[in-house]
Amino acid sequence: MKFGKRLKQQIQETLPGWGDKFLSYKELKKLVKLISSSCASRMMMNGSLEYGKAEAEFVYLLNNEIDKFNAFFMEQEEDFIIRHKELQQRIGRVIDTWGPNGSQPSEKDCKEELGKIRKDIVDFHGEMVLLINYSNINYTGLAKILKKYDKRTGGLLRSPYIQKVLQQPFFTTDLISKLVKECESTIDTVFPPSCDVISRQLVLGSEKIGAAGEGIFRNTVAALLTMQEIRKGSSTYGRFSLPPLSLPDQSDVIQSQLNSPIAIP
Amino acid sequence: MEARPAVSVQNVVASQLSNCGASGTLSSSLSMFPTALGEKCTKFPDLQQASMEKELKQHPRTVASSLPSNSGAVGLMFSSSSGFSADLHFSSVSTQEKHSGPTSFISQSTYSETSITFPHSGVLQSTASSQYLNENHEPWCIDPLPNFLDYSVDTPVQNSQVACSDKQSDWQEWADLVINDEDALTSNWNDIMADTSIADLELKMQYPEEKQPLNFQMQQVQESEQIPAVHVENLAIAPASSPASSAATKQRMRWTPELHEAFVEAVNKLGGSERATPKGVLKLMKVEGLTIYHVKSHLQKYRTARYKPEASEAGSSEKKQSSLDDLSSLDLKTGIEITEALRLQMEVQKRLHEQLEIQRNLQLRIEEQGRYLQMMFEKQCKSMPGVDLAKGSSSMADDAFAQLSDAVQNSPGTNDPGVSKIVTAKEVDEKQKLREREVLEDPETNITSPSDSPPLKRSKLDE
Repeated sequence: MKFGKRLKQQIQETLPGWGDKFLSYKELKKLVKLISSSCASRMMMNGSLEYGKAEAEFVYLLNNEIDKFNAFFMEQEEDFIIRHKELQQRIGRVIDTWGPNGSQPSEKDCKEELGKIRKDIVDFHGEMVLLINYSNINYTGLAKILKKYDKRTGGLLRSPYIQKVLQQPFFTTDLISKLVKECESTIDTVFPPSCDVISRQLVLGSEKIGAAGEGIFRNTVAALLTMQEIRKGSSTYGRFSLPPLSLPDQSDVIQSQLNSPIAIP
Repeated sequence: MEARPAVSVQNVVASQLSNCGASGTLSSSLSMFPTALGEKCTKFPDLQQASMEKELKQHPRTVASSLPSNSGAVGLMFSSSSGFSADLHFSSVSTQEKHSGPTSFISQSTYSETSITFPHSGVLQSTASSQYLNENHEPWCIDPLPNFLDYSVDTPVQNSQVACSDKQSDWQEWADLVINDEDALTSNWNDIMADTSIADLELKMQYPEEKQPLNFQMQQVQESEQIPAVHVENLAIAPASSPASSAATKQRMRWTPELHEAFVEAVNKLGGSERATPKGVLKLMKVEGLTIYHVKSHLQKYRTARYKPEASEAGSSEKKQSSLDDLSSLDLKTGIEITEALRLQMEVQKRLHEQLEIQRNLQLRIEEQGRYLQMMFEKQCKSMPGVDLAKGSSSMADDAFAQLSDAVQNSPGTNDPGVSKIVTAKEVDEKQKLREREVLEDPETNITSPSDSPPLKRSKLDE
């Protein structure tokens, strides 16, 4: 139930509208239990009939889940592509009007606009990363449920099915990754060069951290921690299991963020 | 018509079927099989042509959904089997419309809707097929359920050890076989029945084979049936190749930045997002396979995206104003704070992204390796049955993994120490699990010395 709990946590923290797009892990797990208990006794006799039927039902549900992921993923991807372009255009406009060739003297407006753009870009970046996280969590869930199925029913569904999953659009996140990287380089141009030490202290002491994209930020942090937890090590560690996650130094910063005193709406 | 694939298909099916002593009837139906599939026309050409695409794409789902509701086993079998032959019919007809074999299955990509017409035609076919089948194939009427369930819901092959590309090429051969005949619209009921009977028998054959991983060929036949589902998702990624035919297709299109660029250009030419019409944009873009529905929905999104930033800017600037007002005296400091907060957020996001990438790559490689090793097992089993190389191989495997771990640690290419630790941990773990697996596996299963695999893995690591 550990993954189930983690998944639930992740869903709770997730962006609005994404909640029901995740894997219905619990339902699938119940089905596996049902299949294994009902088929176990009947396997010997005429169980083959039941088994085939049960497996078909299971696969049917899995296919539905995958369709759900694909649809959601591709929709979000499309949105991101559009937004990405829009952001680029906005930045272009700002640079034109307030850059070296610009005519607008008002620095305050410029700063405001820049501020907005920065926030939007960072949030955009965050959402894309969260989509990749979504994809990954669902994949992990699928792999787990398939493993459970094989274990409980003695079937051999996992390997071929997972091959099919690997090629689904929702798992082929290359495009989004590319957009994320592009975003990162864009951000470097929009943000002033950082003066690390002092500003970090400012931030950690400040109580206005909440002003910066609360939902996304919180979700991101939660996602990282969840990932760490999921990979901590399990009783059924096998050749298809991922090794534990090693998050270097920043982890205490992350922890402090999550435990910040700011009330989350 | 391609003789070779036909022959190979015949051989495959025939060899399996002869095992069950059913060769007599079957060889005759088999001889009909390639020709049958070649000559297409069902008795309900109008019905089928009209709703063809819809049925084609809704076939897997419809059959699946009809399964629980159908009470009679026999009726169930027939609707599924007719679905199978219908599938082939559809594919051939749709490919008559100038599409290549694999792409004809693209329209299966949306599984969501259930068709109204399909069960209708299914019923018609099933009654006819029931007559035929009752005449000749009584023995197989008894236990059809699991087979069709296996097939019709795109159940992946349980013991499939074939690499994906192999499957696809087989299916393409078979599909080409189906498709290449000119008279795709002129089959008769006998042909359909032949298809149906063969479908039955194949599926029946699959069932006992389920538990025997070594029955390679039958798996191949079975797998090739699964391929449309895989293919569809793959091909959905290349929107340009999707069939432009069906007006009712609400097939999912995967947009790319390039496509979007073209879209924006077209929109700008037409005078902006407000003035542009979907039809105009579609015409200007001139992208094959793009339907007006795709453009419509994309245009809607585009408009929202442009309009919303203005709305949200107004909203967020209000918010910002209030928070800024609180610290209006320390304007500069707040600015820095906010910027730094954003920077921190970025750091965390970047970190998450990095980890996700690593995780994904690991997952891919794990599966790949697992598949590769399985393949080696199979090959070894086939080439040297009964010879137990387990001991020798395991030590070689250990050596190979040890070399690999060294390579990982010494390689300068691996960036984070975290990454190389992860990789090494994984390799060590796999080494252990490989040993365990050797013990658990059937003693006759041999583990090939993975002499090929270390170079394979190493070359990947060195990337």
